[in-house]
Amino acid sequence: MTLVSNVSHSQSHHGLLRRFARYALVVALVAVFAAFSAAAPSFLTVANLQSILVNNFTLLAIVSVAMTFAVAAGGIDLSVGTAIDFSSFTFVSLVLAGQPVPLAALAGIGGGALVGGFNAVLISGIGISPFLATLGTLFIGRSAQQILTNGGNPVYLPPAGIPESFRFLGRGVVAGVPVPLIAAGLVIAVAAIVLTKSRFGRVVTATGIEANVVRYSGIALKAHVAVTYLLVSVIAAIAGLVLTSTVTVYIPSSGNAFLLNAIGATFIGTTLSPHGRPNIAGTVLGVLLLSIVSNGLLLTGLNFYWQQVGTGLLIFVVLAISFANRKAVARA
Amino acid sequence: MASPQEDGNIGPMIRLTGIEKSFGGTKALSGVSLTVERGSVHGLVGQNGAGKSTLIKLLAGLLRADAGQIEIDGVVHDHLTPHAVDALGIHFIHQDRLLVPTFTVGESLFLGREPRIAGTPFLDRRKMQRRAAEVLDRYFGLRLPTSTLIAELSTAEKQIVQITRALLHAPKVLVFDEPTAALVRREADMLFRLIRRLRDDRITVIYISHYLGEIEDLCDTVTVLRNGRDVATKPVAETSATEIAGLMVNREIGELYPKRTAALGATLLRVEGLSTPGRYEDVSFALRRGEVLGLTGLLGSGVKDLVRTLFGLEQPASGRVEVDGKTVWTKTPAQAARRRLALVPEDRRRHGVALDLSVAENVTLASLDRFTRFGLLNGGAETAEANQLIDRLQIKTDGSDALVRTLSGGNQQKVAIAKWLSRHSEIYLLDEPTVGVDVGAKVEIYQLIADLAARGAGVIVLSSDLPELLGITDRILVLFRGRIAAALDTSETSVDAVLADVTGSSEALRHVG
Repeated sequence: MTLVSNVSHSQSHHGLLRRFARYALVVALVAVFAAFSAAAPSFLTVANLQSILVNNFTLLAIVSVAMTFAVAAGGIDLSVGTAIDFSSFTFVSLVLAGQPVPLAALAGIGGGALVGGFNAVLISGIGISPFLATLGTLFIGRSAQQILTNGGNPVYLPPAGIPESFRFLGRGVVAGVPVPLIAAGLVIAVAAIVLTKSRFGRVVTATGIEANVVRYSGIALKAHVAVTYLLVSVIAAIAGLVLTSTVTVYIPSSGNAFLLNAIGATFIGTTLSPHGRPNIAGTVLGVLLLSIVSNGLLLTGLNFYWQQVGTGLLIFVVLAISFANRKAVARA
Repeated sequence: MASPQEDGNIGPMIRLTGIEKSFGGTKALSGVSLTVERGSVHGLVGQNGAGKSTLIKLLAGLLRADAGQIEIDGVVHDHLTPHAVDALGIHFIHQDRLLVPTFTVGESLFLGREPRIAGTPFLDRRKMQRRAAEVLDRYFGLRLPTSTLIAELSTAEKQIVQITRALLHAPKVLVFDEPTAALVRREADMLFRLIRRLRDDRITVIYISHYLGEIEDLCDTVTVLRNGRDVATKPVAETSATEIAGLMVNREIGELYPKRTAALGATLLRVEGLSTPGRYEDVSFALRRGEVLGLTGLLGSGVKDLVRTLFGLEQPASGRVEVDGKTVWTKTPAQAARRRLALVPEDRRRHGVALDLSVAENVTLASLDRFTRFGLLNGGAETAEANQLIDRLQIKTDGSDALVRTLSGGNQQKVAIAKWLSRHSEIYLLDEPTVGVDVGAKVEIYQLIADLAARGAGVIVLSSDLPELLGITDRILVLFRGRIAAALDTSETSVDAVLADVTGSSEALRHVG
């Protein structure tokens, strides 16, 4: 209320803060980028920048996009790693069994979707909170993989037996751009359209803001929530395919490595966005920020074990910026 | 009428003089005075918005008065805090007053005042156990194990816990705020016996209720509030439910309401023998095109449940609903909306509009299918629809992309209605459509309701504001304890008559007579 009534008194001041809020993420990104360029000579090289995109950015971006849908719907999905693993396991096993790569990939996505389907039943069907439901799935998924792999043995593809199309997915290059990066780009583009321009995306966003209003507006709320968690796992399954084709091995429960960074990137993106709504562009910038920080810290010669301190500090800084910002806007 | 009391104290227990309180630009209380005598049961009545709850919050130290004086037990208090009020021995019993559901009865009773074993920091559970049992037995003749969880108790039992908690701390004043609203008859009778016991023990009671029959039965004195003023304080022996009802309502409103010209058309909605035991029983009525039907009743009378059932938020145990002559079974709001039903819920900020979505996003939320092609939204068409409705309903906003949070209550309500206009709904269920809405927007909403009816829609208005119902409806259904107590033709009834049915005093009078 104060915000509205006082707008006329402090239009310019207010406008400036607004503009800063809109570009806070870009500003942060440029600042971090500049700092590392100055601190580490090997940072600002074509080879390193490419390495950031391929090694740090690609997979985390896909998983974070998946996470963004869950967060946009007012929930969270702690089992994205499980969907990655199930996709990866199915994919590798079928390729190993001599099935055609496209079929195996499709089955991989189906394997990941199984996880989302399970979450959907727990959340929409039974009414368990997303946090607890997906936490349960995470644990069950971990056990399931131990059982499937006789106590956690990796499933390797023998170098000789890797089909060409499989290799292309992980290591191929089209017009100078690595295929995994193209996959990430496609996922990001489609997800951005779905979340901002589609009917489904609108319902998801409205659900995250006030689920009751969605239901009271005559929208099948539970069905939309169920589809949301299915979609999250399908996107995570795509990450599973890219991961497997890059490293040519399935390691049980390895997908969970992305979980915390994906949550971090999504919330950084949400927090620093103008309306405070989860959105794909914000998430992608958040992923870039995290990727640059972890790569840059490595290049400055900082001990690997200290890297997560960098991520943690980054999140504090983001929170501080957003808090100061909001306070300033409220005062204006 | 301050007279020396047996216990030696002189003067009233509570004296409020010239209390004023505004919220923003709205004056909630404009110079209220209230004197509550020691050891009396003092009734406080008034319509919704009359200022009862504001007055009680001031007394509880939850709000601070803009002007006026609060005197308790002969001492003037300038800065009351909830803690100080508690220490003065004033306790509040309210059904919504929170007890922590995961606490036990014992923990709730002694919360914040746990007896310790002398000289140690440890809780004296034995003493807690014993004192709780004493009070429960003395006043309620009841054994309630102190280890029971609050969540497992019925509404009446929770109230008993609240009252017991107050009694454990030697109270001087107990304030009951709509205590019987959620009680069944037998439980209410028990409460009345208790309040008489309290009076015998010289504890002062302030009793707030909609049920005028209870005021007549229970209170020594009654104060009527209307539009933020105390319009009368009378000994109950010298007044009647009818006179109190007359004092409660403002009869001078007339121009507020639009002229109705709609001709009634075909039957749009028919409800037959709808029952959910314990909520409402055997409810039948019909709604025709062009008709505005009023629906009213006290909290717990079943009106809310009835409306929720029609919109698919609850399921009836038996009965039938017809829309346009066809029997429909609305199990979800989605199905209800498909049958062209629309609900504008009472809790606007939680159910009606999403505050952090834009005006346009809210307006099209119920009609997204109309703006969707191959799964994608047509943003231009959405904005055009929003702008058209902003124009038609005179919604005051910075634009269709402004967040609904930035709108005033009345304009938020218009957005909640616009949502269903965009859906082209035909049966409108409006639950307290003008609560928290300023007078200007109220008039616009009344006009909008009249326009809807004129265009051939059917409108059901659930309201506890009786002059409003009389001003805008064609017929009024009154529910009392789950049943239709009266079906009145608006042109042939009066506020007094409706109020008598609402409060069950016509029934009580019949019973006595």
